[in-house]
Parts: sequence; C-alpha cells; structure tokens
Amino acid sequence: MVALTGTTERPVIRTRVRGRVRPWLTAYALLLPSALFLFGFTYWPVVQVIRCSLTVRGFRGAAHWGLQNYARLFNDRHFATAVVNNLIYAAGTIIPSLVLALLFAVALKETTRLTSVLRTLVALPMLIPLVAAASLFAFIFLPNAGLLDHYLAKIGIAETNWLGDPSLALGSIIAITVWKNCGYYMLFFLAGLAGIPQDLLDAAKIDGAGPVQRFFRITLPLLGPTLAFVLVIATLNALTQVDHIIVLTQGGPSDATAMILFYIYQQAHQNFDVGMASAATVVSVGFLFALSIVSLRSLERGIHYET
Amino acid sequence: MRFQLALAACLLTGAAHAATDIDLFFPVSVQGKLANEMARLVEVFNKDHPDIHVTPVYSGSYDDTNLKTHAAIQAGKPPAVVIMSANFVREYVISDEIVQLDPLIEKDGMTEAAFMDQFWPALRLNATEDGHAYGVPFHNSTPLLYYSVDAFKDAGLDPDHAPVTWQEWIDAATKLTKHEGSTTTRWGLMMPGTYDYCGWITSGLAMSNGGEFYNTGYGGEVYYTQPSTIGAVRFLDNMVHKAKAMPEGVTDTNAVTTAFFQGRAGMMILSTGSLSFVRDNMKTPYRTAFLPRSLVNAAPIGGASLILPKGNSPERQAAAWVLIKWLTSPEIAGGWSRFTGYFAPRIAAYDLPEMKTFITAHPDAKVALDQLVYARGWFSTYNVVGVRKALEDGVQAVLSGRATPEAAMAKAQQEADALMRPYVEQTALKVPE
Amino acid sequence: MKREIPLFALLLTCAAALLWFIPFAWMAVASFRHNGAGATDLASLMPSGPFSLANFSDAWSSGHFPLWYLNTVLVCGGILIVQCITVSLAGYAFARMRFAGQNTLFALFLLQLMLVPPILIVPNLATLVALHLYDTLPGIMAPYFASAFGVFLMRQTFRTLPREYEEAALVDGASRLQIIIRVLLPLSLPGLTAFAIVSVTTHWNEFLWPLMATSSPSNQVLTVGLATFTAGAEAGSEWGVIAAGTFFVAAPLLIAFVVFQRRFVSSFTFSGIK
Repeated sequence: MVALTGTTERPVIRTRVRGRVRPWLTAYALLLPSALFLFGFTYWPVVQVIRCSLTVRGFRGAAHWGLQNYARLFNDRHFATAVVNNLIYAAGTIIPSLVLALLFAVALKETTRLTSVLRTLVALPMLIPLVAAASLFAFIFLPNAGLLDHYLAKIGIAETNWLGDPSLALGSIIAITVWKNCGYYMLFFLAGLAGIPQDLLDAAKIDGAGPVQRFFRITLPLLGPTLAFVLVIATLNALTQVDHIIVLTQGGPSDATAMILFYIYQQAHQNFDVGMASAATVVSVGFLFALSIVSLRSLERGIHYET
Repeated sequence: MRFQLALAACLLTGAAHAATDIDLFFPVSVQGKLANEMARLVEVFNKDHPDIHVTPVYSGSYDDTNLKTHAAIQAGKPPAVVIMSANFVREYVISDEIVQLDPLIEKDGMTEAAFMDQFWPALRLNATEDGHAYGVPFHNSTPLLYYSVDAFKDAGLDPDHAPVTWQEWIDAATKLTKHEGSTTTRWGLMMPGTYDYCGWITSGLAMSNGGEFYNTGYGGEVYYTQPSTIGAVRFLDNMVHKAKAMPEGVTDTNAVTTAFFQGRAGMMILSTGSLSFVRDNMKTPYRTAFLPRSLVNAAPIGGASLILPKGNSPERQAAAWVLIKWLTSPEIAGGWSRFTGYFAPRIAAYDLPEMKTFITAHPDAKVALDQLVYARGWFSTYNVVGVRKALEDGVQAVLSGRATPEAAMAKAQQEADALMRPYVEQTALKVPE
Repeated sequence: MKREIPLFALLLTCAAALLWFIPFAWMAVASFRHNGAGATDLASLMPSGPFSLANFSDAWSSGHFPLWYLNTVLVCGGILIVQCITVSLAGYAFARMRFAGQNTLFALFLLQLMLVPPILIVPNLATLVALHLYDTLPGIMAPYFASAFGVFLMRQTFRTLPREYEEAALVDGASRLQIIIRVLLPLSLPGLTAFAIVSVTTHWNEFLWPLMATSSPSNQVLTVGLATFTAGAEAGSEWGVIAAGTFFVAAPLLIAFVVFQRRFVSSFTFSGIK
C-alpha cells in the first residue's frame, strides 16, 4: 500500500477547445449539488443552532435574546457530569482500543490462513450496528444469569451488577465500545504496517535490534500518520456514538453513563428545552471545529491510503 | 406516510372514496403477543366499521410514545389516537395539544360525570383535568407483589400469608435471602430501578407511607422532601443495605424477571400488566399480593389512557372517537385485560360472564382488582419526565449506596423545582399586584 | 520460514480473537435454543437443545422485518445513488480544475467530516419539518446526500488516473460531464466500490438519526426496530427472541463481510472516515 502524499500537481488543462463555458464556472457547477446539501444540513444548522442557543424562551413568555441558556447550561450539574463522563469515556475507549488494535495488527501482520480467520473474528463487531451490540451485551451483562456472570461464577467471582452499579456502568459501556471498534482500527494499522519496508526491519535485525526495539524504533514512528488518523476517528466516535447508552442505560444509573450527545438528546426530546439543547450543541460543535483544525492534515493523509 | 396508508387502504378495500384513515399509536411490548393481539383487535374493528380504516402503529415504550407523539404534533402530523401513559395527559393539557372530550361525550347524550362514572374511581384523576375529560382509560395497572411459593416454603414462610406490612415484608425478604459463600443465590426481593419504573414504585411506597407525593390538583408541586417520601426511600435503603435482601444498584426489568423465573428472587414488585408474561414463563407456582403497607394501603395507578391529539380533521376526530368507544367497551376492554394482565378500567367489564369465569380461574388477576380500592392517581406534573427523573436519580443513588435518603431527596426536590419553575412562575406565582 | 511472531504470542492472539467472537457465538446458540425466558442454561455457550427455529419465527412475527429491511435498503440505496453523483462531480472539480476559492471551499467541505448529523440533531430536525421531510425516508437520507469523505476519496482516485484519456476526449469535443461519466468513472470503479461499501455499512448501522427523524413505525429502519425489541415495556424479555432479532439485523453485513472479505478490508483501509 502506498501513501500517495507525493502526487505531483500537473498543470491544469486549459480548455480552449470549446471556449463557450469558462472552466471556473463549470467547476462551481460541478460543486453545486454537494454544496447545496452541505449548506442545508451542515452549515445552515450550525447557524441555526447558534441562533437558538441565544434565544431565551420561557413558559408562555415572549422569546428574547440573551446568554441565559449558556448560564443555565454551565450551572447544570447534569451537563458537568456528562462532560466528565464523556472525557472518561473518551480516554477509556481510545487508549485500550488503539493499544489492542495495534497489538492485534502486529500479531496478525503476516497473512496466513490462520491469521486471516483471526482478523475476521476481530473485525466482525465493526459490521454490526451499535444497537445490535447493545442487545447482545444487555444479556452478557445481565447480573448472575448473564453470560459474563455465568462464566465468572465458575472461577468464584460473585454476581455483579455491571450496568446497574454507578461505579461499574461506565466501564461496562466502555467495554462494549472497545469490543466494537477495536477491529476497525486494527484494519488501519494492518494497512499502515504493510507500508513499512521490510528491508528496514531486516537491516535493524542484522544490527542486533530485538523485536521490542524494532517495534519502538522503527514500526511505531513509521506508523505515526496512521496513529494520528485513527486517533482522530476514535475521538470523533467517542463524542458522536451514544446508541448503546440510549438502548441500555438511558444515561443512568444516577447519570453515571450520561454523555454530551445523550444530554443534548434528553434536553431536546424529554424536557423539550431547545435552548439548553442548542447551547450544548454549540459547545460540541466548537470542540469538533477545533479538532478538525488540529487534525486537518492527518485526516487528509488518512484518505490517501490505497491498496 | 399518510398518503401511503391511504393508498394501501384504497387498494385493499377497492373503494376509493369510503374509509376515513386514522392511525393509533400504541405502546406495549413488541415481543410477540401483545402487539399481535392489538393488530387482531384493530382488524376486527376495521371489519365492523367499513367507513373507518385504522392502522395500529407500535410506538415503543411509554416514554418513546410520548416523545414520538410530541414530535409528530410539532411536525403537523398528529396521530389520530394515542394510547398514552396516563400521567402524561396533564402535560398535554398544559401545552394545549390535546382535545377536550366533553363535547364528544355530550354529543352522545351523556354528561362528563356520567361518562367517567363508568370507570373505576381511581382512574378518573389522571383522565380528567379541572372537571373536564381529556383521556379515556384503556388499560391500567398497579404495582403488585409477586412471590414464589417454592421460595416461601424453602425459607419456612407460609405461602398462604403474603407479607402485609413493611415489617413483615422486610422480615420475609431477609428470610428468603440465601447465601452460598460470598454469592447470594437467592435475593429476598427484587424490583426494577430503571427510569419510569423506579419513580412509579417509589411514589407507591410514599403513598403507602401516608404521603401524597404530588399535588393532585396542580402540576407544579411535588413532595420529595416530605417525611412520607424520605421514609419510603429509607425503607428501600434498609432493604438493600441493612437487611441486604435486595441487590445493590439498579436492576432492570429483564434482570428482575429472569431472576424470578430462575428461582433467584423470592419476591418481586412488578406491574399487574406483566401478569400474562409471568404466567407464561414462570415454571413453578407463584402468587400475587398487595403492595405491602406502611401506614395505609395504597398503590399508584399505572397504564394508559386513550387521547386525541389536537390538529386532526373533524372526520378523523369523529372516527377516532368511534374507535375509542369501541376499545373501551366492556367486551373489548375485558378481553384485552384477560389477554395482557392489565385490569379493565371499565367497571361493567367485570359483570360479563367470561370475566367472572376468568377471575375464578386466575386468582392472581383478582388481587390486582381488589387492590384498586386503594389505588391513587399517578403523579403528573409539568415537565413530568424530567421531574420524575430527578427523583429517580436520587433513589438510584441511594440504592447504590452513594447518598443518604435525606441528601438524595433534597437534591431531587431542588432539581424538580427548577424544572417546574417556568410553569410555576406563570401560574401559581403569577398573582394580581 | 521462521516466524516473526513467537508461538506463545500467537496463542494469546488466538485466545483474544476467540474472546472477541463470544458475543456472536452466544447470539447463534441462543437463537436456536428454544427454552423460554427463565431457563437456567440461558448463558451456556454449549449448543444444547431443544433446538428449533421458534425464536426466529417469534422474532419475525413480532417485528416488521420485511418492512424494516425494505426501509433500510431504500435508505442505504437512496443515499448511495445520490452520493455517487454529488461526490463524482465535486471530486472531479477538486481533482482536475482550478478556480478561485478552491482551498477555502475544500476546507469547508472538510468540516462535514466532523459535524456529523447526530450532533446537529436539533437544528436538522427543524430543517426537516420546514421542508416537509420529517418522518419520511428522504428525510433520513437528506443530510447524507453530500459526503465530504466521498469527495476526498473521488478526488484522490481521479488524481491517480492518467490524464491522457481525458485530454484526448477533450480534444474530441466532449464536455466535462461526458468525460466524467464516460471516461473517468469506469476507470474509478475500485474507488467507487470502496466508497459504496463504507457508505452502506455506515447507514445500515446508523440508529440515532433515523430514530429521531421518523415517528411512524412504517418508516422505521432495522436498527430502530431492533431497539424496540431490547427495550420491552412493562414485562421482561425472551432472550432467545432478542438474539434472533439481533441476528436478523446483523446477518446481512456479516455474511457479506465473510464472503467479500478482501474487498471490504481494502475498502475500509482505503477510506477511513465514514
């Protein structure tokens, strides 16, 4: 696999064959369909949500402009909890799933009949909906009768309320996410590993570098761009995927698994508080905006991988 | 969508002009029987009423149904009829999204009072507001105590004498709890502590503890910090942390029923609406009993009423009213009750011979009916889901050993007050100067 | 050939991969085992009787699977068809043409990679209502008709193609549109396939947006339907039926993946972002 970062820009053809239409006009025309939908469902909503977040509406009262929604948001204990939970969730899902994915990729780098079967097993969870994963884990995490407790009991571990104990619930949700996403990230690392020249590794071996040294001195630095790319996707996932929370815990018990997006969903559709929901959305959009500025390079590079 | 439905209806009946199409949102467990039975009922209705075509649409849990109905109304596509969780009706009245039924009742030559008199008295509170009818009770429930006969015998308890008082209850639960090393092989008591169920059961305990729990006449007040509520939450706390007879943390309905069926829970609190499910899946004998009492016998009403959202054409509304009257007729309501376990809100349903035979054959169903005498309204306020969740977060924290009942309820009250504040300011606190 | 990976590491990997498979194994075993909600061997991974297809038929009859499949296929297909048009055109413009504001526009497109519809649920729902698309299948699809990811992918794919073909066609007097359709797209099939696989997988599995964008059950897709299985109302759940329902939802993509594994793997790595 080759990273096509070195594509040289060739001079653009100037169409003089038929001079009727100016090329830049054609270019805009070609961009128009995409731009139309991008405008309608990405940029316009951002403008709208900012506007809504600044509109204060009371019960039966007239709407007026103001920052009260933000004041309420930042004073809301539930929002603070959701932000903290989301940070823990992000760290708890990103680090283990990246490390595991990398380990799987290194172990399954060579293509043999066995490794392709194993790769498939690890990759399968990425293909099922998060909702389906949640249905399966609803049973796996069932106290006592569930799959996990059933087998843990055989080694003497007592019944555990995986999703109902506030100190464990977030960890259980994290486990689902790691299980689900790890295989997806592994595929990128496999692609990245394949791009590392074998002779480089062989040369290091001749120089007497052990496998661990080779991994840290050669493999890991060369995987840098892949790692950065996967990191961005994982961060995005940590903020935008709450399907399993909606199905399994509804943010409970006692807010232990509430996340920012779930908080938005709840404000908008349970409390019908559009102002708060919009303010929270603006905060997340701001974060994502910052993230995309930071990660612009690695995103662009990530899409360059090719078979 | 409505167009598609209309088209389908036309193709099916072959009559291009005839039927008024209406849709019915209903929330029952989709897994199998109940949804199929609802589809069958609607089919019967459609056959009997060639000028109306009803499409039953399963809309998830009670909370989901509320959410979807609200969204559909806001989008200008209100469903014609909804089977709505009875305690949400008040909020629809407050936000003026629901049709007042008095004119329809009067058109039929009845008064509102006479109409409501056909239903069990406990149900009227959640179906009416300020003397006007807004909902027609369809299927209702109360929390019941289910217990396993084998577990009772095993623990040396008499299965013919269910615990009646909280003292007997906690004693029985303690005796029923069985340990094997560090593991508990049988819990004395289990109850769902997840959202919706948690608030419902807690309100029942508070009412039994002498409380009102919420202002039945006004949607801006709840009484979470009153002694009656604190005591109820403390009782649950004791059940978990002193008697150690109930698992710590939050257990969902699936975990509770699975444990009960497997003999790992001696007692459980569950809705009467689960009777059929329990009857079908419990392999060993079980009984039902009243929710044990502290100071008085009390149980909150649960279940759902039929409502008419605003914004439908007069034709659809008229057709919807025909459907409502049909669904709540003694025959249909009685049949649905026998099928599901919910009790029939219509008093006359119990005078039918088939109902009498059924009650004799299934004494567990009779318990639910007898408890009705003590039933109270289901707590309903402005922003009811959020107000309920404030309480539930507190109770869950107590069940998990993370807060004392006093602290948890103080926080819950504060949050509930904040959520109801906009409404309160425009109503009770808006007085002439 | 000497192994680069020591044997014990390989064994450890095998064990881990098997662990990863356990939820699927349970799903398969439980959906064929018909023993009611309270049986004691619910959690056993050993296939044990009584075997039957009853869970599948229960699941099938209690959900509206034919409708959910149809809706899901319509949504995924509809999104894909429109996307193919929008991303090919825009991808070409960015790959081959030069115009004022190109870099700014490119960066603006890029933003969409981050601002995914679930985050913008509140304003997007308002837009759907205003456009009378709320609670319709096109409403579910509309936010995805433009795909920044697809635009990047096609731009990249077009850039790898030699220019000679186009230049020849241009000289022959073909229009840009004709060039894209007749010359470039046939050569870009691998890129388009990769995009199609990623797009269909993403939208097949999506939940929150279709949940919010529809209210009538006749517009439900598979994931939304499945959620109604898992969250029973007042009673409990029959685990075998849930397992069978989950199987219905997950099976098509799982099977496709196992059959077309190479294609899938290269598509996902080719691409990356959804």
